[in-house]
Formats: sequence, structure tokens, C-alpha cells
Amino acid sequence: MSLRTNIQRWIFNKESAQSRPAEKLPDTERKPTLAQTLDEYKDCADLIHRTYPDIQVEVLYFGHMVNKDLLNREVIALLLNVEPDEVGNLLNQPQFKVANDSKGLIIGILSGQIAIFRGEIVYLADIRGPESRSVTQSETETVITGPHDAFNEEIDINLSLIRRRVKSSHLKVVKLSVGEITKTNVCVLYILDIVNMDYVDEFVRRIRAIEVDGIYDTNMLIQYIDDSPISIFPQFLTSERPDAIASKLLAGRVIGLVDGSPSVVSAPTSFFEFFSSSDDYYQRWSIGTATRLLRFIAFGITISFTSMYVSVTTFHYEMIPENLLLTLTESRSRVPFPPLYEALLMEVTIELLREAGARLPTKIGQTIGIVGGIVIGQAAVQAGLTSNILIIAVASSAIASFVIPSYVMSASIRLIRFSLIMAAGIWGNFGIAIAITALVIHMCGLTSLGSSYLTPVAPFKFKDWRDTFIRSPFKTLIERPSQSRTKNRIRNKMKK
Amino acid sequence: MVKCILIASVLGTSIILSACSDRRIIEEIGFIQSASYDRSADGQLIIAISIPKADSGSKVSREEFLTTARSAKEARITLSRQSQLTLASGQLRNVLFGCSLARLGIWEHIDSLVRDTVISPQVRITLVDGDAAKLLTRQYKQHPIPGRYIEQLLEKSSRNQTVPKVTLHDFVKEYYEEGIDPVAPIIRDKGDHVEIGGIGLFRDDRYVASLHPEEALIFAFLRGKFNQGEIIMDLGSRNGIKETAMLSAINSKRRITVNFDQGVPTVYCHARIQGSIMEYNGTLKISDIHGRHQLETQIAQNVTERANKMIRLMQNNGVDSLGIGRFVRNSMSYSGWKSLDWMAKYPEVKVIVNVSVFIKDVGKLKI
Amino acid sequence: MKEKLSCFHAAILVHMTQTGIVIFALPGLLAVQFGTNGWLAVPLYFIVTLINVSLIAIVYRVGEGKSIFDILERSIPKVMLYPLYVFLIGLWSLIGCIAAKKYILLFQLIAFPTTNPMAFKFVIDLLAYALIVKGLYNIAKTATVFFWLIIWMGLFLFYFFGDLEWVTFTPFVFQGGHHDVKTYFDIYAAFLGYELSLLFIGYSDRKTRLVKAIIWGNGITAINYILICLVSFGFFSLPQLKSLFVPLLDLLASIKLPFIERIENLLYGFFLFSTILTIGMYSWSAKEVSQRIFPTVRSRFLAFVIVLLSFIVSFIPKSLYEVDKWLRLLAYLEFWVAFGLPLLLISVLIVQRGSKGELSHG
Repeated sequence: MSLRTNIQRWIFNKESAQSRPAEKLPDTERKPTLAQTLDEYKDCADLIHRTYPDIQVEVLYFGHMVNKDLLNREVIALLLNVEPDEVGNLLNQPQFKVANDSKGLIIGILSGQIAIFRGEIVYLADIRGPESRSVTQSETETVITGPHDAFNEEIDINLSLIRRRVKSSHLKVVKLSVGEITKTNVCVLYILDIVNMDYVDEFVRRIRAIEVDGIYDTNMLIQYIDDSPISIFPQFLTSERPDAIASKLLAGRVIGLVDGSPSVVSAPTSFFEFFSSSDDYYQRWSIGTATRLLRFIAFGITISFTSMYVSVTTFHYEMIPENLLLTLTESRSRVPFPPLYEALLMEVTIELLREAGARLPTKIGQTIGIVGGIVIGQAAVQAGLTSNILIIAVASSAIASFVIPSYVMSASIRLIRFSLIMAAGIWGNFGIAIAITALVIHMCGLTSLGSSYLTPVAPFKFKDWRDTFIRSPFKTLIERPSQSRTKNRIRNKMKK
Repeated sequence: MVKCILIASVLGTSIILSACSDRRIIEEIGFIQSASYDRSADGQLIIAISIPKADSGSKVSREEFLTTARSAKEARITLSRQSQLTLASGQLRNVLFGCSLARLGIWEHIDSLVRDTVISPQVRITLVDGDAAKLLTRQYKQHPIPGRYIEQLLEKSSRNQTVPKVTLHDFVKEYYEEGIDPVAPIIRDKGDHVEIGGIGLFRDDRYVASLHPEEALIFAFLRGKFNQGEIIMDLGSRNGIKETAMLSAINSKRRITVNFDQGVPTVYCHARIQGSIMEYNGTLKISDIHGRHQLETQIAQNVTERANKMIRLMQNNGVDSLGIGRFVRNSMSYSGWKSLDWMAKYPEVKVIVNVSVFIKDVGKLKI
Repeated sequence: MKEKLSCFHAAILVHMTQTGIVIFALPGLLAVQFGTNGWLAVPLYFIVTLINVSLIAIVYRVGEGKSIFDILERSIPKVMLYPLYVFLIGLWSLIGCIAAKKYILLFQLIAFPTTNPMAFKFVIDLLAYALIVKGLYNIAKTATVFFWLIIWMGLFLFYFFGDLEWVTFTPFVFQGGHHDVKTYFDIYAAFLGYELSLLFIGYSDRKTRLVKAIIWGNGITAINYILICLVSFGFFSLPQLKSLFVPLLDLLASIKLPFIERIENLLYGFFLFSTILTIGMYSWSAKEVSQRIFPTVRSRFLAFVIVLLSFIVSFIPKSLYEVDKWLRLLAYLEFWVAFGLPLLLISVLIVQRGSKGELSHG
């Protein structure tokens, strides 16, 4: 494309004629045959192919994908003991299903089913196994009170965890598959009557439109369906907690599960949703409110403390109170570089520590903590590399960043902190103001499934504030959040 | 794509254009904590500044500089030649004026302080009885940073109403406003210490008279409302023994009303004082209600007398430090006030002081 | 445009467009112009704005929610409208850029005195560009967030309540003022910004209740101004207030918190939030008008050109005095536009009605 057309395109309104290529029709038409299936699995050494010549049955399965007990009990034992003329009857038993299309057959074998070929007809039996890891506590989203179970990598278990909590026939599930090679199962859940179907359609449409070779995790999936993929902010909320997801369902959100990923996505999301934890609802409202406010204060601290330090020590010395002035000057006087570099050095060190701690096993991780504590806490000050007030600023903003319940969000916020520090180092308070302005302008343009990312603030919905910035008593939480745009608004029908 | 370029260009340009020239990194700055203005015998302006300095390793110390100059700004330029640090006045807390300079007027200096956006409006204005530069630059055994010491002394004293709290803003406000004249606390050198030397009264920007420190609380009673302070009353002598009472934890309120009698204003100044007696060596029985009432009237009389004396002093010097003029103004018509030459009228205005004292308690003892 | 403005958003948008740099000088201007108790003039100005808003309301009602350009272009040939359009584009984009320049020059009073102001201007213009390309609905959302980010500063007014003395206010009303005709317009500049709501008409529907929103936005501004001026008139003595160039900065400089002092430069930095909206709204309006002249050009590009041109123009005035002179002239013109444009629209609408009536009769 020439430069000229590029410029013209940039200047003039033109309806973009380009649209996504029409989705390919799945090849459901072809009848599955043994030869074709074997051809498909050519060079797959782990495929097990057994033949039972006397009953003219051949079976195909992956040995490591099936439950050996089930295999023996439900298939092998039966096939060994059956009379040749009763095979037809046997295979009419309910655990055997006729596979009509080759794609379904191939995916079925890949997901741990056994394929039984008898003449023209192919049966599939679900003997999936071995057991995956059991339901354990969540590592990233722990709560003190409330249920402790968390999703694991198995989509069926995850579905059952949700179904067990929401015993309603209105809980609907859409099954999708993503990834041309990985063919990962994705389930979209919603509660009919509560959800706004526009969101469901949009969510499903976006997932269907993904054309990549594979996805491995929910957090990866959501980056393909983000409204604004280059933004620093996560635009969908992910959680590992079934109780949180159940509450999102009831709030009218659309839920997405990805096979092989313990996190579950909820959409649409607002920025403020990342600051609430299910703990808030299990505590009494006053405690819940206090913790929630604390998180917003933590947000303020984490983005502003270090940048304020840089700004004040570089440009605005008059803002320092007299009592602090001498201590600050004294500890700064031995530092050989300007505050901006000093702050960046410390912030990078803290990030290094955090990253190292996250990668190492817990036992070594503790050592890192101790070493880091000594290095940062004392040695750096004594060596005159940093001032001790900066240590306090950096440490408190690091701690504050961990208060934010969502790890994905807290990582984004830590990155924002760096840009604020840079801005403060360049233009002091004015730089901070500019950075905040840019941030707000950016956030106001963000959407999540087409609904505004800053929802209860802009667009302004004051009613939602009592479950956003505070957690008011349950009897006042009468309506579902407005971002869900649900027709079924009332959730609390108790009389006051 | 366009966005990426945009963001990159913002970062790039701002780093290139970043305000290197306006950097004020704290360890490279000499913070002027206090400055003093003085007049030498031959009429030159002497300027001293005190810079508390944090030396690495050692204890906090300070630097002082002294120079003669035509103005403070010029002095700063001359002084910065002597220092390895950039001198900056953003942390200025206290400005001292020598009395000899203040008698000639200090407005040009105040003007330059107000004009400078770096200087806080909360800077204290203080008068020094004696040599201000010497007071600021000498060594005090117990106080390594004299500027800091003086400031804390003033802070504490103004909380106790021993001196009024006078900031740059207050001074300018009262300087400009018609019907009130500015005041400033006076400090003086006393060997190893600095002590409060009273209250300086200004006519416009000229220092004309002072009040004794013992009268400070009377001044406070008349000037406005306050909530903390203590005063010792001399209640005359009986049988050769001096009777004194100490009133502490004072709450005081003042109200000024103006009556016009054939165009001549009469000013009534009501002060309501409440406090507890912490020390009394007189003959009255203060545990008794009558005794207390008697004591209350005695104290009120004492305060009234002293107040009358103070007002006479002010009227004789032609300074309206209590802001009586403002109340007179507010009780007149605008044109009437404009045609009135208040400062000419002020010495003849009748001011009637009316003090009521209420003793809240007399301490822990019942007798 | 999918979403329409809500009533609250329109109100906040009007309020944030009005609140700009004039607020810093407003108490001083009032003191010079009206003398004693000049803060009482704010409600009077508010009444004048209400008269103007009622004109806009008539346009809205009679025009039945049609955009003002549609109204104009139906009766007047486009060629004849072009001079008007060009004038509006020039005026509005200039107001935006000169206001930004003034903000920067004022900032340089307290910090960064030697940095090239155009460096700041460049960044602010980039932000303004980023803001206006997002469209009115997103600008309104931004306005709401910024509103919450600066309205808390009002709490600082309580800090001064202890220092206010009733005796400073004096019982006189409007005595000793200067009463200069030009300054009346200078003060009115503090309220300008609501007239841009004429352009909101196309972006609102019945649920917006646009007129109510404009009045509310105006009201918030007026209450803000009254409070700030009230505190200023009590905190400073009148001659002192007259002597100050930016009284609000002096007011903020007096705040001393235990952990931080002299927050005026931080808070002044936060005033960027409302300034950027003032700039953004005026530039957006200019862009809207220019879209009428060049309907085929992408609005992104128009915004870019407008911001670029106003950036170039803002090189011209260098000192605060020049900027003030420019702003004074622009505010004067804008005052007449604020009244003239609705009047023009009303007369066009009357003509349209008349001809329609004739048609139906005949």
C-alpha cells in the first residue's frame, strides 16, 4: 500500500470494506472411517489400537488419557466376553454413542474417549481419566472466612463447582472450542432471565472470531477478546473462586471457562470490580466497607508515594514540612544520583525481589525475602545508595500494591507507578498531574464488552456506589449492578 | 500504531525538554531558614541568613552568612557566592527585623517577600530589640540552630498568647486594611538564650511603640478570641503582703460595639474571661462563692485598669493595633467612613473597656 | 453516536467547561471591580447566564432537538454560513489554546520558571487531542471522573473557616469598586463555557433534559465561585485582595498540613483536570463546526489540524500580559457569540415556522 493511500485513509472517512472472513463451516459432513482416522493419527506412537478379530471390532484410544479401571470394566471386559452376534446389542448400551462426523470423532479420541469401530458404525465411549488434581485452595485469591475451594484445570470439575452453587435450570452453558490445533474447550455460562443477552451474544461472537493455533489459559483468552488489546488494564475480571463466580453470575455477568485453566472470566467488568473481594461479603458490612476503602487508599498510595517523593525532592523542596526536611536532606546528601534514578533503582530492586520470590519454591522464596529485607532495608541506606525515606515510600507502595485482590490488576498498577515516577522526575507535580490526566483520559475511553470501564463513576450511577466503594448492609443492596443492564434488577425482595 | 508513535513522541520530547534548569534537588540547596534585616550605624542594610545544614555522618549543624546589601534579593545573590549550595528561600520560616530598621519602615522588604511566589505567606514576621544579625548568627550553647530555636520559641509563645502570631499574610492584611495597624512580636538577646521582649506596634509599616511582655495577655484579651494562656495578676498589697492570683487555662472572648454620640464614636470593648485559679495568696476565701465573686471583680478591675493604660498608650502613639477602626467603619456609612480621617480622630475616641471574669474552678483543694 | 448524554453528565460537562483558569483571579477581579463584598456579584452574574440559558432553551424547544447546524443550513445557503463557521472555529480553538497558555504561564509563577512554556503546551495539546478524538460521550465521562478528582479540594475551604473574621467583610455592598466596563466581561469569562451546550443538542434526547442539566451545571459553578470568593473576601482584607494577581493561589499556599506544606503547586497541578476539559471542549466545538465545512474528512484529522494550528498560534503571546490581553478580547467576542448565536437560531427558527405555516395554510 502506498504512502499516499495510507495518508488518504487517515484523513478521509471511508467505510472499511474489510470485514472478517466468513467463518469456515466445520466439516461435519464426512462419515468417519477407521482408515481415515488412522491416517489422521499417523505417527502418533501413543495411540493404542486394538483389534478383536472374532467380533470384528477395533478400538482406538490414548492410553494415558483414559481411566484404566473404567476402560477394563466398561469396554474391554465386555468386548472380551461378548458373543459375536450380541455385539450389536452390547454397543447399543447407553455408554456407547454413535459418532456421526469425523471431526467429532477425532476430538473425542483426543479428549480421552475410546472409539469403537464396528463395520461402518463408530461408537464413542467416555472413559476419561486419569483424575486430575483435586480441588484445592486458591493460591492467589485467599480469603479468611468463606469457602476455600478453588477451580482447578479440569473444565468439568469447574462446571460442577459452579452448578453445585447455582442450582438452577436457568444456568445455561454454551460450549465452544478455541484454537485450531489445541481445540481447547471453552464454556460460556449465564443465567437466563438475569443476563442481558446482548452481552452473551457479543461474548460468544468474540470467542468464535478467535483464529489462533492455540490458547492455554483464560488470561490468554481474554487478551484475544479485549475491547482494547493495547491497553495496560485488564478488561475482564478473572477469578479462581467458585463463590465469586457464582455471585458474578447472579449479578448478571457472562462467565467464561477455559479447559485447562483454573481461572474463570467474568464479563463485563468495571475497573472498581477489581478492588472487591468475596471476603467483603462474608465479613460484617462495616468491616467490609473499611477493607474496601483501604484498598482504594492502597491504590492511591501505590501509584503516588514514590512519585511524590521524586517530585518533592527534585523540584518542590518547599513542600517538605520543616521537621522532615533535615532528616531527608541528611539521608539524601550521601546519595550520588538524582532522586529519579534513586527511586527507579529501588523500585526495580523491589520488582526483582517480587519476581524472584514468585518463581522460586516457597522455602527458597523466604530466603529471598530475608535477603531482600536486609539488602533494601539496611545495606542500601548504609552504603549511601538511597535515602531511608525513599525506602519507606517504596516499601509501602509495594505493600499497598499487594492489597489489591486481583493479581492481574495489581501488576498493571505497578507498571503505571513507573510511568508516574518518570513523569514526576521530568516535570515534578505538573508531570504527575499530566500523567494522571492521561491515565484518566485513557481509562474513560476503555470499554468492557462495550460497556464503560469506569461504570459507577462514569457513567455516573450513584446507586451502585454502595457496592463499589463501600459494602453497605445487605438490606440496602437491592439491585443488581447497572453495568449488567439486566431487566431483572431486583435481587433482594425482603421487606425492609 | 498511531497511538504508539504518539506515546513514544510524548515521552521522547518530554525527556529532551525536561526541566533540567528548574531542578531543585534538595541536597543541592541551602534552605534559608531565617533571614534578618538590620541597619548598620552608617545606614547600610545588613542581611544575615541562617541555613541549617545536614552534614553526612555528623550531627545537624548550620551555616550563617552575613552581608551588607541594598536589598534582600541582592544579598541572596552576594551570599550565594559564598556557598557551595544554591540558596533558596522556599523554606523560609522566620524573618527578623532590627528595631532600628523597623522604625524607618519595612514595607519595601515586606513587598519583596510577598512578591516572591516561592516564599510562603505563613512566614513569621518578628522584631528584634537590638542587633538582629547578631541574634541570628551567634552561638547558643544549647541550641545548635538559632533560627529553629527562635521559631519554636515564638510558636510556643503564640500558643500561650504571650505574643500574637504574626505571619507575613497577617502583617500584609493589617497593613493594607484601614482601621487596623499591624503588630509583631519582639525578641531580644539574653546571653545564652533568646527571650520574648514584648509586642511591637506599627503605624503603617513603621515600628513606633512596644508593649511590655507582661501586658501581652491584656493585649490578647482586647484583640480577639483565644483559648489558652495564663496570667499573673497583681491585686495590690494588704498588710504589707503582695496579693497575687494566677489565672490559667483561660478562655477569652471579646466583643466591640460602637455608639455614636453626635457623630463622635464611643467604643465599648467587652472582654469575657474564663479561667481557673491555680495560685492565690490573698485573704479572700476563694472556695466560697462570695469570695470568688469578689476575686472576679478584683481581677476584672485589674485587667480593666491595665487595658485602659494600654489603650491610652496606643492612642498617644496613634496606632490602632486593636483594630478599633474596623468596628467604627462597620458601624458607619461608607461615605461617612471615607470622609472620616480615622487616624486623626483615633486619639480622641473614647474607648470604654468592660471586663467580666468568670472563675471556673480553683483547683483540687476545697479550701 | 450510540449513547446519549445523561442529565448528570451534561451538567458536569457544563460545569467543568466553565471552571477554568479564571477562577484563580476571580476574587481579585471582583474586589477591584465591585469593591466591598464583591462576592455578592457572583449570583448576579449567575442570573445573567440564566437569561442566556433560557435563549438556548428556546432553541432546544422550538428546534425540537435538531442540531443547530441543521437549523441554520435549512434556511441559509451553506456558502453564506461559511464565514460564520470559520469565525466560530477560529474563536473557539483560540479560546482553548490561549486558556492553556495562560494556565501554563501561571504555573510557571510557582514552579519551572525557566522551562520553555511551549514544551508544557505541547504535552497539554497532545492530551487535548487524545481527549477530543474520543467523542462527546467519552469527554463527558472524563469530565465526571475529573469532577470527582477535584471537587474534594473544596474541603480545604473549611481550613479557612477559623481564620475568617466577620469584621473583615464590612457591611458595605459594592463600595469602592472600579466599575470598569471591560472588567465586567473579564469576570463573565469565568462563566463562559455553558454556551457550548448548543452543540450538545444533537447528542441528547428527551431523557437528557438538557436545559435542566445546563442550569444545574451553571449552578454548581456559581456555588463553587461563591464559596471561594466568600472565603477570599474574609481571609484577605479588601485592599490586599485588590493587590493580588492570583488570590486563589495565595489562599492555597496558606494551607499547612502536618505531612505536607505549600500544596498550592500540587493542587494547581490538579487544576489541569478542569483546564484540560475547558481546552478540550472548546477545541471539540471547533472540530464539530469544521466537520460541517469538510464533511468527508475524518474527524480525527480535523482534530489534529485544529490542535496543531492552535499550538502554532500559541507561540505568539509570550508574557502573561499579552495572554491576558488576548483572553480579554476572546472573552468579549465569546460573550457576544453566547448571546448572538441563540438569537440568530431563534430568528431562523421563526422564519422556518412562518414558512411552514404558510405552506400548510396554502
